[in-house]
Amino acid sequence: MRQKLGAQTTLLAIGQAPLAVWKASGKIFRSIMGFAVFLTAWEVLASTGLINAVLLPSPTTLFWAASDLLRSGTLFRHVSASIERVLVGFALAAFVGLTLGVVLGWFRTLSDFVKPLVEALRPIPPIAWTPLAILWFGVGNAPSYFLVFIGAVFPVFVSTYSAVRNIERTQINAALCLGATPTMLIWDVLIPGALPVIFPGLRIALGVGWMCVVAAELIAAQSGLGYMIQQSRLLLQTQFVLTGMIVIGIIGFAMNAVMTAIERRLVPWQESSKVT
Amino acid sequence: MTQLRVDHVSKDFALRGRADVLRVLEDVSLDICEGELIVLLGPSGCGKSTLLNIIAGFLQPTTGQVLHEDIPVSKPDRRRTVVFQDYALFPWMTIEKNVEFGLKAQGIAPAERTRIARSFLALVKLSGFEDHYPYEVSGGMKQRAAIARALAPDPDILLMDEPFGALDAQTRVLLQEELVRIVAATNRTVVFVTHSIDEAVFLADRIVVMSSHPGKIRSIHKVALPRPRTAETRSLPNFINLTQELWDSLKPQWHVEGANAVRLQHAT
Repeated sequence: MRQKLGAQTTLLAIGQAPLAVWKASGKIFRSIMGFAVFLTAWEVLASTGLINAVLLPSPTTLFWAASDLLRSGTLFRHVSASIERVLVGFALAAFVGLTLGVVLGWFRTLSDFVKPLVEALRPIPPIAWTPLAILWFGVGNAPSYFLVFIGAVFPVFVSTYSAVRNIERTQINAALCLGATPTMLIWDVLIPGALPVIFPGLRIALGVGWMCVVAAELIAAQSGLGYMIQQSRLLLQTQFVLTGMIVIGIIGFAMNAVMTAIERRLVPWQESSKVT
Repeated sequence: MTQLRVDHVSKDFALRGRADVLRVLEDVSLDICEGELIVLLGPSGCGKSTLLNIIAGFLQPTTGQVLHEDIPVSKPDRRRTVVFQDYALFPWMTIEKNVEFGLKAQGIAPAERTRIARSFLALVKLSGFEDHYPYEVSGGMKQRAAIARALAPDPDILLMDEPFGALDAQTRVLLQEELVRIVAATNRTVVFVTHSIDEAVFLADRIVVMSSHPGKIRSIHKVALPRPRTAETRSLPNFINLTQELWDSLKPQWHVEGANAVRLQHAT
């Protein structure tokens, strides 16, 4: 009886193994299928003239447009301009946001003076700063730096501030009774203790910064992906508009992936749960 | 012989939004000898953890003082290390790095740190888990690691604040026996806070019973049980008698506390 049962479960297991593989690969397969169906439908609609190919070019047209842009070096020029701007703005925002967050998180009285001011500025959308940015900085890189900074500084500040505020008192006490020097308290306790909260803030800030740089370039720049799609619109080159949009999406996705990878490296203990 | 003297210590806490203060400790005096294992026993709200925090130097008494070898305690230092109920391990460090923390603070060279940390990890039976992060091990193992971390900087006094309170009953009993063994091996003074009578009797040389509102010392009991204490200790007549005696003397107060808790629940 037991043997028979054993044999049956073995058979079941053999039957289940491919099933599991199918289930796992099925998910990837289905998402690829989703894309394929969408692109095919689009291609058919555009090439049969059911939709206006000038307003919405077909995927194959986009492919050739992208390869043209790549080969001429145009795409690379705009991409590097945009990335340079987002990195400069983000670096400024990270520096200011981290410093302000640590200082205001630690010194509560000072925080009473400054925090309401910060909270009053925070709800203004970065895009609303564009006219001022142009008036203050003209047209060039500076207004883009500024708008990225405005978009990215608040997420960094808020996450740093709450990270420092919420560091557990017992952990600081533990460090103190073990004889921690002020340097050790900052570098071995406060900073690593705050990182798991700060890092998602940095990741969000970079995402917001990327949106801001595109918005800034639509209006106040002579290069960059935002400028490229805006110029292409004026020339009715929708294939370049759409290519630009797709590239913007891919780069945003890649930046998020890079930040997540860095976070995993720097915060490995956060793998499963916040430890008590 | 007195290593630590608690000298007429009182502690008030300011109440949020109120002019008056809450008296948590009132005129507590206690002499602790070198190598002694003192248990502070009492219901919650009796100020036993506050007293421990004052001894550690995390809190300052409102009046009175704590003397560590005749020198007033003004801030935490590594001669009085603490084991916390919630472990307070640094989650971003491996178990071994946690144990090394106090050694690094003293400026001991890395190789020597590792050697010392490993010997303490062996003492608390955590060899083989050096490179694990705290989140990867059980509650009992976290507390063993916390004990190793507190012992590594070679403190005079080990302060333990309900260290086994968060553990399940079996792990708790096991760790009590382990603690007795570790303390015997290292010959350290221990001040141990608990609200478990059983735990107090099993561990202590002297039990300081505290009462609440405000917290003060109610009675001190010498525990006349032989060492080493083992599982068999729990069935000795002396163990049972003292446990019963403490139960009887504490029961009225626990009743009051229970009634208060019920009243509070109804009020909110």
